[in-house]
Formats: sequence, structure tokens, C-alpha cells
Amino acid sequence: MRARRRVVTLRETRPAAPRRPTIARRTASAPASGVERVPIAGPPVIRADTPVDLSIELGRGLVLPNPVLVASGTFGYGVEYGEVVEVERLGGICCKGTTLRPRIGNVTPRVTETPGGMLNSIGLQNPGVDAVVDRYTATWAGWRVPVIVNVAGESVSDYVEVVSRLDGVPGVAGIELNISCPNVGKGGMQFAIDADAAGSVTAAVRRMTDLPLLVKLSPNVADVRPIARAIADAGADALTAVNTLSGIAVAPSRTRPLLGNVYGGVSGPAIKPIALRVVYEVAQVVDIPIVGIGGVTELADVLDFLAVGAVAVQVGTAIFADPTLPVRLVDELTGACRARGLDSHRPLIGTALPRRTGASSAKGAEYRP
Amino acid sequence: MRLLGAELVESREILPGQFIQALHAPHLATGSRAGQFVHVRTGDLSGLVLRRPFSINTADPSSGTVTVHFRTVGRGTEWLTRLRPGDPVDVLGPLGRPFEVDARSRHLLLIAGGLGIAGVRMLVDEAIRDGRQVTLLFGAASARDVYPSSLLPDEVEYVVATDDGSLGHGGYVTELVPQYEAWADQGFACGPAPMLAALSRLAATRRQRLGVAKLGRKRGAGRPDQPGSAAARRKAFLQVSMEQNMGCAVGACLGCVVMGASGTPLRVCREGPVFAAEELDWEAGW
Repeated sequence: MRARRRVVTLRETRPAAPRRPTIARRTASAPASGVERVPIAGPPVIRADTPVDLSIELGRGLVLPNPVLVASGTFGYGVEYGEVVEVERLGGICCKGTTLRPRIGNVTPRVTETPGGMLNSIGLQNPGVDAVVDRYTATWAGWRVPVIVNVAGESVSDYVEVVSRLDGVPGVAGIELNISCPNVGKGGMQFAIDADAAGSVTAAVRRMTDLPLLVKLSPNVADVRPIARAIADAGADALTAVNTLSGIAVAPSRTRPLLGNVYGGVSGPAIKPIALRVVYEVAQVVDIPIVGIGGVTELADVLDFLAVGAVAVQVGTAIFADPTLPVRLVDELTGACRARGLDSHRPLIGTALPRRTGASSAKGAEYRP
Repeated sequence: MRLLGAELVESREILPGQFIQALHAPHLATGSRAGQFVHVRTGDLSGLVLRRPFSINTADPSSGTVTVHFRTVGRGTEWLTRLRPGDPVDVLGPLGRPFEVDARSRHLLLIAGGLGIAGVRMLVDEAIRDGRQVTLLFGAASARDVYPSSLLPDEVEYVVATDDGSLGHGGYVTELVPQYEAWADQGFACGPAPMLAALSRLAATRRQRLGVAKLGRKRGAGRPDQPGSAAARRKAFLQVSMEQNMGCAVGACLGCVVMGASGTPLRVCREGPVFAAEELDWEAGW
């Protein structure tokens, strides 16, 4: 730590150092010192106090102040963590899945810990879109951090109706279509597993609103690429990848599954490789920004998601253990950019992607267990 | 609610597999009330992603320590038992809403089943400090699981029931309640869900059975209290501390709900863990 600081101090002095001297100047000024310091060619110099611009645009004017968002369902409506989290320093907040009518959700138990992650089956419990607008949007409107409302539904008309009630409401910065909730019989999952259905619900919502529109992909499909392409073609501004993976746990008695709903969604570090694979694949077939999500618990995870083509990440399960993690990741990403001599995180995006889509080096993308 | 860097002061195995650990956390020791809980982060090494919720068992403002009481049930709690005095512990708290004791209540009846003692233990101290009389009914499977009376203040009347009859009353602790409820002004319970459901049925029929007037109901006394408000809970005869698998513990994830009497799920971490018995739907099977 200390060593790095010393390096930074050295670099700070560098701009003041003499430019590469010309013969003429040397003759003219005739310096008394015997040795001339010649600057070494290298990465652009970034001073410790130089602002690193982490902002990123997701489309339609939705500019996130930084690429670390909090994931839907793990951060409520942004108010629950109170003073424990500096909410306004986040890159964005995806609120709890919101439906047209109130939903009481699934029977308990709804959550359990699993190896390297957790399983949840909340079942989209929420007070309904009108209550969300009444209770929270005024607060959101006063925040600098954009709040993206996660929207779920059972039918195309549900989605369109919910979005129409959010359209134009101050405090709503964007929409994240949850077409992939694995925990509800009709949670929209049918839209996420079929390219035509995914495209049509996206198109219907797109016609309804000019709000920035993200669509959250499900990993519970054989091939996510046609679905991602259909969603992008239907006018989505960005994609979120991925939602939870469907899974179950067994009760200690071994006489029944543990969760009240039997099925739940697996999240946490356990699913990170799968999420990375989906982002990697999708990034090669769409031109719209991708928000990566799945097991982000430290800076390395953020850098991994950026490398496979995500422009931003969402932090979810890890918030439960460490609510201050997302804000810390913002600071650490700033530090990582400085250490690499970057004034933005954008050069870190897509560095692990094949040079050209379809090139022979992309063979690995076809691997499927 | 704050994120705190606490420090383990002491760890004791008080019963087979049951530990009481003292944490140095002055903010909790002075700022928490009986019924509230803390959310403790376990070591990252084993890939555990969730914190563990524990009732605040006792709080001692003079030494700045609180204790938690738990049973080792898995890798998280086992990790905690391996901590040594001086080790740092990451604690989020105090969380949830406390027990509400009516200022006029002189006699409190506390009912605990097994590890449920951890949920009501701090109320014993608070009540005695406030000059109230406390009877604690405790139920366990057998004598080997009975909470040691040496860990309770002398002022408490401590009555034990064991399922196998190896100590005290042979049978469920709920069977003791009829002998003590007439004397009590308020009841507070924590334990397994079937025990709490049985107690809530007793509480619901209490007025008919005993012919007691409801506390705090003066003639023409304004509007009724909002269900779930502290005032409404103070007037309820029975308050229960509920347990549920928990995620965030701040009300964000909606993982830890119990079904409310109105048909709306209530968050154990936010509206609870203490509820008036009549706020909950005991038949919902959640």
C-alpha cells in the first residue's frame, strides 16, 4: 500500500519534468547538470486525485454514475438498509419485482443457504405497482442514484399495464423486465425460454414507454443467444444477465424438499461461472449493453464480468453478508482503473472476448456441458 | 441498526451443543431492547453467504457486552464456536422490534421452549430491573436440555417441564400455562411454532375462560390502536417472538415472512420478530 503511494507521488512530479530536450534548446540553455532525465514512454499518467469516470450509459439517456448496481430482490426499495449503506453512491438500484396487483408470495421457508450461495423462493411478494409508486417514487426522485423498477407479470398485457403506470413517474429512471422469475408458476418464465415470446413482450413494452428498458435473461435455457437477439431486435436498451438458476434443497428430515415452494432460484458465487458464460455468449451476438450479475463478491468478479463484455454489474446475494460491499466495489474499481493508468473503466470491457465473432478462436463459446 | 465490529469476549458451552457467547459491542449493550436481534456474519472461508440471526440474550451496558445463545446446527454456528476471545465478529444490529411491556403490568409470564429461552431471556432482566415479578415457564425434551437456573436472576420464579418427565412437569410447557395465566398481566413467549400456536389459542380464549378485562381499554378511549403498533402490542395479552429462515434481516428480501391475520405476510425481521399473538394467522401453515 505504502509502496504504491510512493510510486504515485513520483508520477505526480513527472508532468513538471522537462520535455524531451532538443539539441537547439540544450545548446541554448546549457544546463549545468550532467544527466538529463528523459521521460519513459508508458501508459498515460493518472494522478491519484485525477477523477476516474466510471459513468456508463445503458441507453435512452440512462447514465449510471458508476457500473455497480444492486440487484432486484436483494435491496428492497432502496430504503431498507437505511444509514448502513450510502445509497447515493451506488451506480443504480433495481427494486424488488413489481407486479400489477399485490402479491403475497410463496409459502415459507423461502430462503436457505446452499454451498457457495443461497436458494430463494420469495414468489414476487410485492404491494403492487400503484403502492410502489405511492410509497417510494417521491423518495427516489430526490436521489442522485437512478432507480430501475423491476417489473414482472403473467401476460404481455400485465407487463404493458405495469409499465404504463410507471411511465413518466418522477423517480423512475428505467425499467428492468423480469421475464425470468423461476419461482412463480406464471412468473413470466414462459417469456424467457422462447425467443418469439421474449421478443413480443419486449416489443409490446417498448411501444408503451420511452423509459430506458432492460430485460433480464434467464440462464435456465438451452441456448440464450437467440433469445437475447430477439430481445435486442425488439428494442430493448440493455440486457441483464442472469437471473437465478432453478434449484431445490432437501429438508433436514429428508422427507420433503426444504422450500415451501419446492423450487427456488440459486444465486451467489456458486453461479458465477454460469453467469460469466451467458454474458460471454450474449456479448458476441448483441450490440446493446449488458449488465452482468451472478456471484459478484469482490473486485475480481467485477473485472471478470467486464472482461466478458458486461458494461456494469449488479451485486445481489453478497449484500446480505456485507451491505457495504457495492459502495466499496465502486471505490476499488476506481483504484483498479488508476492502477492501470485508466481514466475510465470502459477499456476493461470485453477484453476477454474473441477478437472477431465467429472466428475459430471462439470455439470455446460452443462448449456446453 | 448499525454494522459493528464486535469482539468476542467469552464463549461457554452451557449445555451439550449450546453456547453462550459474550461480544463486546457497547452500541448494542446500551441501544438494544429485549426481543431484538443481531445478524452475525460468519467466516468467508467456507463459502457461507448468509449471516446468522440471533436474539440478544442479555445486554450489560456497564461492561459494553451483549450475549447470544445458540445451538450448533451447521457450519456457520460451528465456525462461531471456534472463535477465541479477542477475535473480531462482524455484527449488524440491533434489528427488529422489541417486546412491549405495559407500564401497569406487575406480573409477567414468560414461556420458553428449548432454545426459545434466548428470545425472552433479556426480558427477564428488563422486567426485574423495572420491579416486575417474573415467572418463567421453560419446556425442553429432557433434563439434559434444561436451561441452568444458575444463569437466571434469583428473583425469577422458574418452572420447568420436560417432555419425558425427567425434570419438573412431565409434558408440554403449554400445560403449565393455565396454572399461571390468571396471575399474569402479560405473557411473552418464544419457542417452536406449535408451542406458540397452542399459546395463542389459550390467549385468544383467555378472556372467556377467566373473565378478565382487556388491559388499557377505558370507556370511550379514542381510536383503536393500529394493529402491529407498539401501543396495540402493549395491550395484547400475549406477545410471541417468531423464528424464520432469514436473508437480509433488514426487510429487503422478504425471505423471513410469517402470515399475518389480515392475509398480508409480515416480515419477521422488520415487523417482528415480536408480534402480538392476534396479529398472526396461526392456521396458515407458513
